[in-house]
Amino acid sequence: MRFVVTRLLRGLLTLWFAVTVTFFLVRLLPGDPVLAVADPNMTEELRAKLLADFGLDQPLGVQYLNYLAQLVQGNLGMSFRQSIPVTTVLMDRLPWTLILTGSAMLVTIVLGIPLGVLAATRAKGWVDRVIQLTGVTAQSLFVPSVGIFLMYVMGVTLGWFPIGGAVDLDATGPAAWLSMLHHLVLPCLSLVLIQLGGYVLTMRSTLIEALGEDYVALAKAKGVKPRAVVWKHALRNALLPTTTIAGLQLGTLVGGAVLTETIYAYPGIGRAIYEAVGQLDFPVLQGAFVLLAAAVVAANLLTDVAYGILDPRVRTS
Amino acid sequence: MTAVVTDLTPRQRTWTAFRRNPLGLASAAILLALAVIALCAPLIAPFPEGYGEDTFQPPSAEHWFGTDDIGQDVFAQVIWGTRVSMAVGLSASVLAIVIGLVVGICAAYFRRLDTPLGVLVDLSLSLPVLPLMILVAALAGPSVRTLVVVIALFSWPEVARVVRSSAMAIVPMPFVSAAKVIGGSAFWIVRKHLVPGVVPVVGVSVVLTTSRAVLAEAGLSFLGLGDPNSWSWGTILHKAQQSGALASAWWTTLFPSLAILLLVLSTTLLSVAYNDARNHRSAS
Repeated sequence: MRFVVTRLLRGLLTLWFAVTVTFFLVRLLPGDPVLAVADPNMTEELRAKLLADFGLDQPLGVQYLNYLAQLVQGNLGMSFRQSIPVTTVLMDRLPWTLILTGSAMLVTIVLGIPLGVLAATRAKGWVDRVIQLTGVTAQSLFVPSVGIFLMYVMGVTLGWFPIGGAVDLDATGPAAWLSMLHHLVLPCLSLVLIQLGGYVLTMRSTLIEALGEDYVALAKAKGVKPRAVVWKHALRNALLPTTTIAGLQLGTLVGGAVLTETIYAYPGIGRAIYEAVGQLDFPVLQGAFVLLAAAVVAANLLTDVAYGILDPRVRTS
Repeated sequence: MTAVVTDLTPRQRTWTAFRRNPLGLASAAILLALAVIALCAPLIAPFPEGYGEDTFQPPSAEHWFGTDDIGQDVFAQVIWGTRVSMAVGLSASVLAIVIGLVVGICAAYFRRLDTPLGVLVDLSLSLPVLPLMILVAALAGPSVRTLVVVIALFSWPEVARVVRSSAMAIVPMPFVSAAKVIGGSAFWIVRKHLVPGVVPVVGVSVVLTTSRAVLAEAGLSFLGLGDPNSWSWGTILHKAQQSGALASAWWTTLFPSLAILLLVLSTTLLSVAYNDARNHRSAS
């Protein structure tokens, strides 16, 4: 219980840090602070009125406290291009980003475990070399390049998958679900390809280490079948450090999602960011960062707690 | 044979081991070639600007990489893009390394600073960096300088963590205590003992940070936050996305993508080769 509370406090600290950094970056940058709330093409009176309305004429400390108070109530300001609250804009988009990143993570883990086992059990062999080199190459890929390549080959040339959007708007009932999956394949695959390398390489090295442990030698000496030694004894212990990789890679995953959604016109937070960049809609950009940071913090908290449940040793440290 | 090897200085041994690694050598050669292309861009192709007559032409003898939606030569764009992509990547990386080096060494040497700096680094590392870079780059206004500063601003914590952990191993060494005993100033000890000790780690870090900075630059430019007056690989992809060429003109996206892959992959392989060569025990 104390472990969960400590982790929760650390998550809140991270979130506070994210919010504070953005607040001061936005205020201290050379740009006009009014740009952060309103259109640059307006008259002087309107400008002054807006400054007062948004409390921008008050001292920085007061502004900061107001901002925090609004944030706690879930208020991220107004989008000045769409004239609706940023929270509304982003909450409509959030489920799509969660579907995309969640499915990408799931597929990565499902593919990553057997590939890591394959490489570790054939360490130094040619299968291992191929997997290692492919893993390093995959880590060097630029997300949009992968996305565009998959789109061109499997979407445009072969015509197997739709190349934009998240769902067929005409479809209803089960057909809508199928259409959703159908639209998900290419963006999800793009994210899986850039993520997989890291997982496989970590899985491989931790499993090789685990295979050298005494309990593996003991299991072998007892006459446990080689397959069972790997999958039942060594893998269980090698999986634990791999869960920390999942936490570390969340940042990459979120960045990748922003770029992938842009390419596939997938209506998530990332696409909202791309649109907001084009329209210089700063409140949306700021809100999107805060929301994504919160999602990453929450996911990290979950992995930490899960790790603590699986491995009681972590709880005491 | 072993007697000869042990007579060499560690640096010579690293170099000998490195020369035996074909992947490492090839990567170094590719990086060198890209650097030459970046420096000699004006000699290779004219700066792509204005409108051309042939739009969306596939690769041909006249236009090696084809042309884009307004008839500009994609080959020229990629050549000039090499310049900006590499310059931004390298400058951002150098800036990030300097900040990371200072923070990392301060955290290791001045014990009282360790906790606050460590917390700062941990917090920065657990945030999604790209959306933060996007926000700052959009606010500061797109330019090459903005890109360099923004990328460096959010890349140094990684360097600081690596530097700190390797400097931590040096601080308790007897020669550091000896330097303190003879009355050496903190600055002198850091300069004479700590900095040389962490240089090998920083060497690998420069390479990896550069490749990450190149990817970050490409990502920001792809989203439309690149310098509007110059070409980078990300900018080419951004223009292709905006003109709707993603689904039709494969050559507008394939060549800049390959350039990014070539640069990032060779930097990664180079750092792997350097690490292997430096790690004498695992090599033998």
